[in-house]
Amino acid sequence: MSEIPEYRLERIFNAPRDMVWRAWTDPELLHRWYGPGVETIIHKFDLRPGGAWLNEMKWGDNADFSKMVFQEVTQPEKLVWHHSSTDADWNITANARMPDWPRVLLTTVTFEDMGDKTNVLLTQIPMDATDAEIACFAEMMAGMDQGWGSGYAIMDELFVELQVEGGHDE
Amino acid sequence: MEQPGYTKLQPNLDTIFAALADPTRRAILSRLVEGQASVNEIAAPFKMSQPAVSRHLKVLERAGLIERDVDEQRRPARLKAEQMAAAVDWLNDFKAFWGASFDQLDSVLFNMKRAKGKEADNE
Repeated sequence: MSEIPEYRLERIFNAPRDMVWRAWTDPELLHRWYGPGVETIIHKFDLRPGGAWLNEMKWGDNADFSKMVFQEVTQPEKLVWHHSSTDADWNITANARMPDWPRVLLTTVTFEDMGDKTNVLLTQIPMDATDAEIACFAEMMAGMDQGWGSGYAIMDELFVELQVEGGHDE
Repeated sequence: MEQPGYTKLQPNLDTIFAALADPTRRAILSRLVEGQASVNEIAAPFKMSQPAVSRHLKVLERAGLIERDVDEQRRPARLKAEQMAAAVDWLNDFKAFWGASFDQLDSVLFNMKRAKGKEADNE
């Protein structure tokens, strides 16, 4: 496969760049927002090329571990890291729920100074990925942009109906 | 090491979404929400032969979206919701991850700015 798929997320934050940089690079602040609706525990945060960010996310009885190894740290403009799922001992593993998910995602975050605002662009692409990993990632990216919308819709519909039928009580 | 909360199901996204890409197969799934059904019963509302419906059922079965009884003569098909749920959960998790995190970052930055404003007032 020649074309490497890419995940992109861009957003303008209503804060000056130094402040946004701090929110990304001070673990005390980072753990407050990284990970949606979960408890985020940052076990290690060594902000320098080759340094690691060891991250645990907890929700209910579940835990999810990941390891980020910084490749580039250019304050206050750019962060680059290798992003991987790990086991509880920080060994890189295949994603248990999606075996063909790329083991390593090259993650690049750029912070563009817009005065009292900051434009943040985050990209992720598979690193040293197998064809199967690239295909899996491409599939996901395609699904996020378009195409699978109807698939999601039907599934959502089915789940609602199934839950009603199952009569799950809160 | 087995991590807590992980399901052992390993749904193949490609197969699942290819299966769902077809409107007839989605309609068949909708029908199965009402309960299990035989090929005849599924074919009835469609202008489609039984072999054609059988082919669609095979695709859905391969994707792990339905299962079919092997014992009974009429081999009724029924939904296998867990498989779908696992795949959809995972997709939604990824889709939501950065977006929802960015929402939270928004409010962290808002609080940082407010704290900074207060500091400035106190000076």
